[in-house]
Amino acid sequence: MRVSRAERSANYVILFAFALFALIPILTILQAALGPGDSAGTGETASFAGLHLGNFTEAWQVGHFGTYMRMSFMVSASVVVVSVGLSILSGFAFGTMRFRGSTALFYLFLLGIMMPSEAIVVPLYFDLRTLGLTDTFWAVALPQVAQSVAFGTFWMRAYFRSSSRSLIEAARLDGASNRRILWQVLVPLARPAIVTLIVLVFMWTWNEFLIPLVMVTDESLRTAPLGLAFFQGQYTQGFTLLAAGAVIVATPVVALYLFLQRHFIAGMLEGSVRE
Amino acid sequence: MVGRGSRRDVGPPGEPRRIAYLYLLPAFIVYAAFLLYPLLRAVQISLYDWDGLTLGRWIGLDNYREVLTDEGLRSAFGHALVLMVFFALIPIVVGLLLASVLNRAKVRGLSFFRTVVFLPQVVAMVVVAVAWRRIYAPDGSLNSLLGAVGLDSLTRGWLGDYDFALPAVGFVGSWFEIGLVTVLLLAGMGRINGELYEAARLDGAGPVREFFAVTLPSVRGEIAVALTLTVIAALRTFDLVYVTTRGGPGNSTSVPSYEVYHRAFELGRVGSAAAIGVSLTIVIFAISFAITRIGDRGTS
Amino acid sequence: MIRSRRLLLIASVLGVTAVAACAPGSSTSPSTSAPSSASAVETDAAKMGAVTLLVWDQEVRGGQAAQMAELIKGFEAKYPNIKIERVSRSFDDLKTTLRLALSGNEPPDVVEANNGRSDMGEFVKAGQLRPLDAYSTAYGWEARYPKSVRQYSSYSPDGKTFGEGNLYGLPQVGETVGIFYNKKKLAAAGLQAPTTWSELQSSLATLKGKGEVPLMLGNLEKWPAIHVFGTVQGRTTPPETIKSLAFGRSGATWKSPENLKAAQTLVEWVDKGYFNKGVNGQDYDPAWQGFTKGTGVYLIAGTWLQADLEKAMGADVGFMLPPGSAAGDKPVATGGTGLPFAVTSKSKHPDAAAAYINFITSEDAMAVLAKTGNLPIADTSAQVVTGTLQKEVFSSFGKIVEQDGLVPYLDYATPTMYDTIGAALQDLLAKKATPDQFLDRLEKDYAAFVSAQG
Repeated sequence: MRVSRAERSANYVILFAFALFALIPILTILQAALGPGDSAGTGETASFAGLHLGNFTEAWQVGHFGTYMRMSFMVSASVVVVSVGLSILSGFAFGTMRFRGSTALFYLFLLGIMMPSEAIVVPLYFDLRTLGLTDTFWAVALPQVAQSVAFGTFWMRAYFRSSSRSLIEAARLDGASNRRILWQVLVPLARPAIVTLIVLVFMWTWNEFLIPLVMVTDESLRTAPLGLAFFQGQYTQGFTLLAAGAVIVATPVVALYLFLQRHFIAGMLEGSVRE
Repeated sequence: MVGRGSRRDVGPPGEPRRIAYLYLLPAFIVYAAFLLYPLLRAVQISLYDWDGLTLGRWIGLDNYREVLTDEGLRSAFGHALVLMVFFALIPIVVGLLLASVLNRAKVRGLSFFRTVVFLPQVVAMVVVAVAWRRIYAPDGSLNSLLGAVGLDSLTRGWLGDYDFALPAVGFVGSWFEIGLVTVLLLAGMGRINGELYEAARLDGAGPVREFFAVTLPSVRGEIAVALTLTVIAALRTFDLVYVTTRGGPGNSTSVPSYEVYHRAFELGRVGSAAAIGVSLTIVIFAISFAITRIGDRGTS
Repeated sequence: MIRSRRLLLIASVLGVTAVAACAPGSSTSPSTSAPSSASAVETDAAKMGAVTLLVWDQEVRGGQAAQMAELIKGFEAKYPNIKIERVSRSFDDLKTTLRLALSGNEPPDVVEANNGRSDMGEFVKAGQLRPLDAYSTAYGWEARYPKSVRQYSSYSPDGKTFGEGNLYGLPQVGETVGIFYNKKKLAAAGLQAPTTWSELQSSLATLKGKGEVPLMLGNLEKWPAIHVFGTVQGRTTPPETIKSLAFGRSGATWKSPENLKAAQTLVEWVDKGYFNKGVNGQDYDPAWQGFTKGTGVYLIAGTWLQADLEKAMGADVGFMLPPGSAAGDKPVATGGTGLPFAVTSKSKHPDAAAAYINFITSEDAMAVLAKTGNLPIADTSAQVVTGTLQKEVFSSFGKIVEQDGLVPYLDYATPTMYDTIGAALQDLLAKKATPDQFLDRLEKDYAAFVSAQG
């Protein structure tokens, strides 16, 4: 397939244009975060080669990001561990076993992928409040586990279904129990799919806004995106510190993404269009 | 039909297994408790007029009637439809273009471009909203850019302009979703058999004809997935509206999800909020169903 | 199999009817057992044992943040047994989250609540705030806070009447909306600070002619325009009418020629280009920041900006009450008190909470407020003021309080008025609604509420 040079240059132009388009808002924030203090309030912050890294420490303190980031890590990590574990189990069941009602149950799980949190957050809040369970760590984590399990089950089922049938049959004929088959045969092979699931669940949980907003009022339980939204209202003197806070909040997921993006994108592409 | 599940959980392959339920149970318990049950409760609450504190008052389907007749709510759903154009249609059109470019050409640094283009999806929506709120400010980069190219007359406070606030918010959505859609479509295109292209070329088709004759039909499935994901994203925009406009100016950027929060937790109209949430869910299910149906029909 | 299916059907029908039969919520609203006599309350904070108080406030701007930090430090130093856990948030964010917090199981002890009907009125109605009358007597607040000030934080226990009844909160600062002006720019345009309303209007035209932005306004948050409109309305509508409209009392109407004139004036200003471009898209804080950097000659805003403006502009900025038709006229301006601090009914340490409130509103506290660039509501004349802007703010406030010229914020009126007037003003400023339609919308909200009150 020979492509003319003109076409190739045109392609590069288009690509660069869109790459720039994707990056510009992010660069705007980065630039503001590293710039000098721009307001009547903040004085000059510590700078290194013209990059005011002191902005980050100041934003961290003024915006109480330490608490929020820690909370976000804890919530995201817990949700990842629990939901990936549960999804592997249920995906294995759906993907390799026949049982009555499997189609109906699977469609039930699919509902969860499409269900907006706006629909359930209202009754969930009031019910948890009656039980005295609002303002707890699990009030934030468990609804997100539920959402992630819906997607995770779909994801792992898709993977397990396409795993080599013969491999599973051979293991069964050898007398391996289901548990052996799952954890010692399939899961090691499923590592790319599982890594992708981990990254996706982590990202979605970290970035979640509505559920933590509603479920907790205790400051020490708030997550990072909430901290940023409130910081926007609280910090009235300009944009620099707000931008620094935004960078702080976005960094963990972006870092994870850049580090694992090969897995991430490859996995997402492979799994997305099954069925 | 074979016997009702073998008693041994390890049996010859192909036997229906009881043990499957055990594997499903943990996931199902959490899922049912925190998603399915609340949904049922939402339906129940939506039939009452409740302020969240005192006893609720039964009003049947009045809340739903309000969803269909109240001007404010109807425009909220209307705005959601507009957002769908920005979140779904535009990214798909642009994504098709981008993906076919990436697919055709032997472009070096392909994975770099893919990484960069996908990056917006990874950034928290709150951060995205903070960034774009700044860009749209009267003294922000968009107006500076317009001024620099001599289009000063177009400058304005974008998020406070009655005509442009909603498109401005929508455009953020386009920016956000283009990467995901492109990557998705690219994957689909990568699976297209090269021979199809050969055949088309032998028939004398240029790049445009190739696209419509070979590429487009082959990625129908991917387009369906992309449509579903982006439409759901459009209907669920809460963070973006909360951080940028809170529904303003006036009510020109009100969206159903923001109305749910506003009514349940600021106005004390929990029943109405639940009804809006349930309606939103129904709309999402209906659209997803329709998309899958259309997608399936193509691949026969 | 058929039998199990039928069983399933019966079970689900029963389930549905059971679910439908129980209405959500409970019929008992939380009871507030407030101590009825002064002797039942403990006022010596040192005797209260180890206590942690959770306080939510919206003291985020320059002067506000400074005074709160200093006062908390002073309180904790004086009473080491009481620790203050503070959450501070913007006015908008606090408004969004306060209701959720109060209805939760562990609400804060002290909250700074907007005293309008949409917030404090609703909280009182739901029994979420504790009446403070016993503490008022015990601490002697009545002596330092005249009734005209206490009325802004008073509601009847059922939340129906605003302005009388129990005391539910105590504010630290007074507020009035006036006109900040850039002295240098006025002088450069050959103008003097206007002393009558017509002088102000003609100065707007002159400044526009000289290429300046006469009026700076950032209305993205929807509430700033309420202050501007209130200022204009004060020129045309009698103060007693405004009070009835703003307190949600019956007997007034929005559809009057005076209110119409006010709305028309506002539209006129938009038409003549007196405002900065795109007011509805401009954030409030960047707007006044722009004012400090030289955009805009007049800024119609409240005294809460005093500290920030003085810090940025020094002697270049002045403050004046909105002028009347003649130079000696009795002044009328929107204002009253800042947001009051209230105690929640679920608080386990009401005595400590009241002691905290007493501390941050004491005479010493008032001095701290003045020092950090705020406008204390009590003991105002006893304060030492430095700085030209602060002097102007203090004397203006003193004058208007003395002459009883303050009218309440318009959004106080009904539980939904804050939303209604905010959106309606944005529509009016954007010419999406005519002055008549604007007034219709306000009248609808106000009249519906007043008739429902009975």
